[in-house]
Amino acid sequence: MTAAEATFYYMAAAGVASALLAVTRKNPVHSMLWVLALFMHIAGIFLLLGAEFLAAVQVIVYAGAILIFYLFVLMLLDLPDEEAGPRFSTHWPLAAAVGMSFAALAWLARVQGTGAAELARSERSAGLPAVGPAQGSVAEIGVALFGPFALPFEIAGIVLLAAIIGSVVVARKQQAGA
Amino acid sequence: MIVPVETVLALSAILFGIGAFGFLARRNIILMVVSVEIMLNAVNLSLAGFSAQLEDPRGQILALLVIAVAAAEVAVGLGLMIAMNRNRPGAHVADLTDLKW
Repeated sequence: MTAAEATFYYMAAAGVASALLAVTRKNPVHSMLWVLALFMHIAGIFLLLGAEFLAAVQVIVYAGAILIFYLFVLMLLDLPDEEAGPRFSTHWPLAAAVGMSFAALAWLARVQGTGAAELARSERSAGLPAVGPAQGSVAEIGVALFGPFALPFEIAGIVLLAAIIGSVVVARKQQAGA
Repeated sequence: MIVPVETVLALSAILFGIGAFGFLARRNIILMVVSVEIMLNAVNLSLAGFSAQLEDPRGQILALLVIAVAAAEVAVGLGLMIAMNRNRPGAHVADLTDLKW
C-alpha cells in the first residue's frame, strides 16, 4: 500500500467516524465540531482525487462559512434543555435501517464495480476524444466555468442572490399590521 | 487514480447513509439540516470520484454548483429557523404541530 493509499484510507475512516459521532452526540455544538472534522477530511479526499479547487472551496465555503453560520444560529437560539430530552425520535431503528441499506449499497459498489472504468476505456478505444486534459488544474475549471458552463454558473449566482433576499425577508421582525 | 472509483463510491454511500440516518432519527431541526449537509457532501464526493475516474472536469463543476445550492439552502433554512424560534422557542420538530390535523 502506498503512502497516498494509506492517506486515503485514513481520511475515509476518520470521515466515517466523525460523521457517526456528529449524528449521535447529544450536545449540538459537539455535533457541529464533528461535522467540521468531517468536512476537513472530505477536503483531504478531494485533494487526493485531484480536485484541488473543490478542496479549497470545501474548506472556505463549507467549513469556513456554512458551518460557522450554523454555529451562530445554534448559539443564537439558546437551547438550554437540549441535552435533557432524548436525542432520537421513537422511530430511530427504522432510520438506522435506512442508513444500513446505504451501507449495503456501498458493499455492492465494492463487489460489482460500476463499469465506469470499462466505459471510459471503451470510449477511448472507440476513437472518441478524451473530454478533459489535465486533471485537477484550477485553470481548467475556471475556463470551463466561464466558457461552456457560464449559464449554469450565472444561474447559481442568481439562486444565491434570491436566497440572500429570501432569508432577510423570512427572518426579519414582522411590523405590526404590515 | 490512487484508489479505484468503487472505493470512493462506497465511502460516499456510507456517508450518505449516516446522513440519512441523522436526518430521520434526530429531533433537533438544526441537526436534521446538518445531516442534509452530510448527505450533500457524500454526493459531492462521488461526483469528484467520477470526475477523477473519467478524467473529466465536468464532475467537479457539478459539485461546485451543488455547493452553491447548499449555501442557498442554508441561508433560507436558518432564516426560517430564526423566524420559527421567534414564535415558538425550541428546536424540536415534534413540537411543530400547527399544520397537523
